[in-house]
Amino acid sequence: MLELRQVSLLRQGKTLVQPVSLQADLGQLCAILGPNGAGKSSLLQLMSGYQPASSGSVILDGQDIATQTPAWLACRRAVVEQHPACPEGWCVSELLATAVYLAAPGQGAAAIRQAVALSHCSDLIARRLETLSGGELQRVHLARALCQLLASTQTARYLLLDEATSALDFAMADAMMTQLRRIARELNIGVVAVMHDLNLALRHADQVLLLRDGCGMAFGKTADIMQKQRLEAIYGIRLAELISPDASIRAFVPHPPPEQG
Amino acid sequence: MFRPSALYLFLSLALLLSSLFSLLQGSGIDFALLYHGQPLPALEQHLLLQLRLPRLLLALCTGMLLGSAGVAIQARFRNPLAEPGLLGIYSGAALAAALALSLGAGMLTVSLAGFAGSLLALLAIRLLLARSHPADGSRLILCGVAITTLLGSLLTLLITTLPDGSLRSITFWLMGSFANAEWTHAQLQLLALPLVWCGLFRQWRLLNALQLGEMTAFHLGFEVHRGAWLVVVLASLAAGVVVSSCGMIGFVGLLAPHLARLLLGSDARRLLLAAPLLGGWLTVSADWLARSLLAPAELPVGVITSLLGAPFFLWLLLRKQESSHA
Repeated sequence: MLELRQVSLLRQGKTLVQPVSLQADLGQLCAILGPNGAGKSSLLQLMSGYQPASSGSVILDGQDIATQTPAWLACRRAVVEQHPACPEGWCVSELLATAVYLAAPGQGAAAIRQAVALSHCSDLIARRLETLSGGELQRVHLARALCQLLASTQTARYLLLDEATSALDFAMADAMMTQLRRIARELNIGVVAVMHDLNLALRHADQVLLLRDGCGMAFGKTADIMQKQRLEAIYGIRLAELISPDASIRAFVPHPPPEQG
Repeated sequence: MFRPSALYLFLSLALLLSSLFSLLQGSGIDFALLYHGQPLPALEQHLLLQLRLPRLLLALCTGMLLGSAGVAIQARFRNPLAEPGLLGIYSGAALAAALALSLGAGMLTVSLAGFAGSLLALLAIRLLLARSHPADGSRLILCGVAITTLLGSLLTLLITTLPDGSLRSITFWLMGSFANAEWTHAQLQLLALPLVWCGLFRQWRLLNALQLGEMTAFHLGFEVHRGAWLVVVLASLAAGVVVSSCGMIGFVGLLAPHLARLLLGSDARRLLLAAPLLGGWLTVSADWLARSLLAPAELPVGVITSLLGAPFFLWLLLRKQESSHA
């Protein structure tokens, strides 16, 4: 279990994250939504242990992560960062290898094979990073993070994604989220994803945390949390809710009032 | 790309051959005597053992140290253009070493001062860059140029205000030279080389991970701050020891890692094997050229390395710009 208990983050006198609580379960996909500057990335960095919490605690696998080493953390969570690194002259296979450096010998090769298959990257494996498109780069970084988790022997494993679908077209993004949800179910991995696309979260997330100005506004089951009035308040915009004829799909689109005059 | 093991073997052989060539070539020693099993005359023995051999070892270790340090610095700063000389690291070392020398310190203290100087220069760079985007290479180079110029003029000031002869010449410091090689210099470098190289080689995984950025390296499970400190300290040690015994020898720390990268790709483990061999080969060959081009006069060895290195640096810079505009 990955749990935030009244976690806050202060940097240079500015409050980036007000005390927030959240529980992400294994096998579930939890989306973190909110306008730009709401503190979504900061919250993810708190969860990954990269930023130490100013107050409160982050509990992973029963331990406060502030007391754990980077290697301990790396066995239990992997992160796809917002800006995927693209060092010059690297092959995709070299990138994937970095994820299993600290794994037990023998675990690495199998983990890489499995991660490549799961993220559909087998055609990219010999390519150089600088020749990849933005979307392909995000896919190989997802594969890299999966390698790290698959090489681990721990049962509590979390995948943290910071806008990992931002460079994908909407079909690819939807396919990736479907795949992530499958991975979460089948491998019993908890996925926590910072996202911008409301409808993608609505379709794929089990749980949603809404953030605004560093405050957690609501957390719970996706269908309960993602209500029109609440989203309008958070984004400061009027929305229209569209429901498909058989009521199986909901979607929100911006619907500002017609201009006067 | 080459088979790495074949390349290491080839480089080692090339290094060995050029070392032997550099040791034996030149006037003064009649090797026919050695070949026939007769002892060399005392003067020639002295020439070989007290002048040629320490000089060769000094050149060899210098190249290997600078090659290793170059790999480390480039990985640490995530920038293939990060050359220790251009970042002001050598200038910091030179200024501190010259200061210690002017106060009458011994070789070991001078080297330690050089180490401290290069560490301080590195810290200054690190602080100046703390707020900028890591991939912003031009800012790194600009800061480096400013620091190099500042420290270089302080060094010149120091040398010119002191009475003649109390320090080695300005050319020695600014262009580097193996001409004053003594056994103490060579011994110090022979001590530093395994320390620096083994320390860095143990960190090859971290050096690779750091190229993905500090955040990603942390997420991959590395003790980034401790590890990065160790890397910086080892690179400073290499620069300090080299500069205090043979001045600022430019561009070897850039050329050697880059040639290795062209041959083997960017895996730090391979680079740390190939770059020291290439660096050693470069300095030994450059030293031979410096001695023999205008013989019996001698060029500062830094002239040769910079003549090779500066155009190479420009080529890299232009290539990088082209690829970022494409």
